Amino acid sequence: MATQNNSIPVILNKKRTFIIKEKISKQDLVEKLVNAICDDLPEIDRNDVLAAVLKREQGISTTLDTGLSIPHARIEDLNAFEAAVAVLPNGISDEYGLKIKVMFLFLSPTGQNYFSQHLKLLASLAEKFKASFITELASCADEEEVLGKISF
Amino acid sequence: MDKENTIRMQNNPFKAKGIIVITTAMLTFITFWKAAAVVLCDFGSSAFYAGGIAMRAFGPAFPWYILAVMLFSGLLLMMYIEACSLFTRGGIFPVVNAGLGENAAKAATAAILFDFVLTGPISSITAGQYLVGLINSTLEIFKIHFTLAPNGFSMVFALAVTLYFWYQNIKGIEDSSEKSEKIIRFSIVICVVLFVWAIITILQRGTLTLPPFRPQLNKESIGWAVNMPFLEKIGCIGVLMALGHSVLALSGLETLAQVYREIEYPKIKNLKKAAWIVFIFAFVFTGGLTFIAAIIIPPDLIASRYSDNLLSGLAMQLWGPNVLKLIMQAAVVIAGVVMLSGAVNTSIIGANGIMNRVAEDGILTDWFRKIHKTHGTTYNIINMICLLQIAVIILSRGDTYLIGEAYAFGVLWSFVLEMSSIVILRFKNREQKREFMMPFNIKFDHYYIPIGGILITLAVIALALINLITKKTATIAGISFAVFIFLLFHISEKLNAKKANVIFEEGHREKLNKTEVNNLDKAIEGLEGSKRLVVAVKDPDNLYHLEHILQGIGSDDTDVIVLYAKPIDNWSVGKTTGSKKTDENELFTNIILIAEKYGHPVLPLIINSNEPSYALTQVAQAAKAQEIIMGVSGTYGANDQLERLVMAWGALNQGKENKSSITARILWEGREVSYKF
Repeated sequence: MATQNNSIPVILNKKRTFIIKEKISKQDLVEKLVNAICDDLPEIDRNDVLAAVLKREQGISTTLDTGLSIPHARIEDLNAFEAAVAVLPNGISDEYGLKIKVMFLFLSPTGQNYFSQHLKLLASLAEKFKASFITELASCADEEEVLGKISF
Repeated sequence: MDKENTIRMQNNPFKAKGIIVITTAMLTFITFWKAAAVVLCDFGSSAFYAGGIAMRAFGPAFPWYILAVMLFSGLLLMMYIEACSLFTRGGIFPVVNAGLGENAAKAATAAILFDFVLTGPISSITAGQYLVGLINSTLEIFKIHFTLAPNGFSMVFALAVTLYFWYQNIKGIEDSSEKSEKIIRFSIVICVVLFVWAIITILQRGTLTLPPFRPQLNKESIGWAVNMPFLEKIGCIGVLMALGHSVLALSGLETLAQVYREIEYPKIKNLKKAAWIVFIFAFVFTGGLTFIAAIIIPPDLIASRYSDNLLSGLAMQLWGPNVLKLIMQAAVVIAGVVMLSGAVNTSIIGANGIMNRVAEDGILTDWFRKIHKTHGTTYNIINMICLLQIAVIILSRGDTYLIGEAYAFGVLWSFVLEMSSIVILRFKNREQKREFMMPFNIKFDHYYIPIGGILITLAVIALALINLITKKTATIAGISFAVFIFLLFHISEKLNAKKANVIFEEGHREKLNKTEVNNLDKAIEGLEGSKRLVVAVKDPDNLYHLEHILQGIGSDDTDVIVLYAKPIDNWSVGKTTGSKKTDENELFTNIILIAEKYGHPVLPLIINSNEPSYALTQVAQAAKAQEIIMGVSGTYGANDQLERLVMAWGALNQGKENKSSITARILWEGREVSYKF
């Protein structure tokens, strides 16, 4: 399923949506979401993708004060924005001690034209995932409900 | 913002905590017209006393020499422009320091300080003389047989004026250029009226006798030269001596270099315009009015009655009814009193500025740079200058001529050292970019040999040497004062040696006054421009982006907010382990120097925040800025920086009905990444 996020088409589906209540490290969570995306994209090397996302995570933080974390990477050979999301009702801590309650991981195509859309997506996600929205997601009964709320 | 997000922002770990505005530095800039007015309030004020003093020194030929000196000021102004193009914080110290070395720079500073210490008293006493002249004229016209003692009254008046400006300077004068502008506008009106009326008077008289050209030097005015008969064989020696006695009219030119740092962009272009205004005004006002006065007032009357208030004498000798002449005299006195009082103020500001500049180089101990707890001014320096000025006033007992005799030493020797330095720097700092060069140069190899500059330097050296012989009071007082100040610098530097070494190694640090405000609206309330830019700063050595932006701003309508997001508890999002801790003073000193260099005001802010992008976004949104400008991070690169910024922008846009848009620019040498969102 493709969801429109501020006019940017982002591919997100039920298989890439998770509610995780058990303890999990940030790195394992990132890996889980990368795998979920890569399962649909056999032409992409998942190790390369994971390395790219983790490398970006070593840069400036992608976690916001609202509890939203947006790991991301720009990947060659992609021609659409691919995403996976995890809702963490109990939260996990990032390296700065901030609580992550939702992780929205996305991959974007490389190329200068896509970069402005990449930035736009980051801005619109940061704007859309208000604290109340994150609380709402945390109370969702299943992944389908989460997806329904995110797909707007 | 909706209620939920208001609550979120109140408890936000990234929320800006503590907003500090840097207020110490003079970061507003003035127009060329205002800059010219500031200079003229000092330089132009000599019109009120130079002629009278010169008349007492060498007789009725004085107007020719005052006029010649005013013409010469045009050449000196050009030399000053070249000096300013080399050093934004012009002033005499850095120029001579670079050209002739530190000892010469100390001597030059001592000389110019001597000038400032005398400018205050001569100006305030002259103002008193004009005022008492008016009071006595009024009493005479109304046949009241009572006269005030001119010198006694002038001394008391001078003390009152000096104390007034001492207090004003301790409090810190916010922007005196506005007042200077009004004073000069009023003086121009008086000047025009005097000229027109003087022409009518000459036409009415039907005869015009020009003053003689040959100076009548007396025993007093040739000083020690009385014992040097061989000097008589030098043809033009009398002319040189007369010029030496007229050179006091040049006092105040240094103010141009002092005011340069305050001039708005484009600085050198505006400095040239200011210099033209200064030159024309001084030539017409000081030179022209002195000349007209010499034509209208009989020489014996000048000598007996108007040597201390020449322009009042001009007003009273015009053709017309006494009442009108008295009104004219009153107008001249008002112009004189305000302009001369302005010169007192400028002398205190100038001396304070020079001493501060010397202190920046670690030559003065911290005692001198102590900042007043309430007013933020360097009160110890101001106290010292004003005490010296008060001592001069009391010692002179209100006699302008006595101070006039001591005058000119500082002016001339500071010129000698500064002009020599400018010439030497043509060879020493050949590569340094000059936006202006004194004309008359011969290009040889890679050098521009400053023929014009050399001739001017030789001229001032000749005048300084001749004055050394003829002006005994100036030589004795000047050398004594210069030695005293030189020793003060020397001893202070020794006491400050450790600190001076640190200053030498670290570079100069501006003393910063920080004012904490409650919210961002308060911090930016003074901004008036229609375009606003927020420039993020962190690394004192990475300010290319700020320099690039300031260089490119062509209008006055753009406000530049410079923001440093200071990490709380030494951590912040995006800060790598082992990141260099920012030296705030070094950072803002460099910012101030860049702002001064380009003549564009900036609003420097410090925000305590763990998240620089949040702080930047909060400021940009509060200021409704059109652009955010950042330097590139050496650790993360431009793309990561942009990503974090747009995330912060999005997060802070939550719940807002009117969403603003902005362009983010990341600049580094020759490259730029930008994004409008």
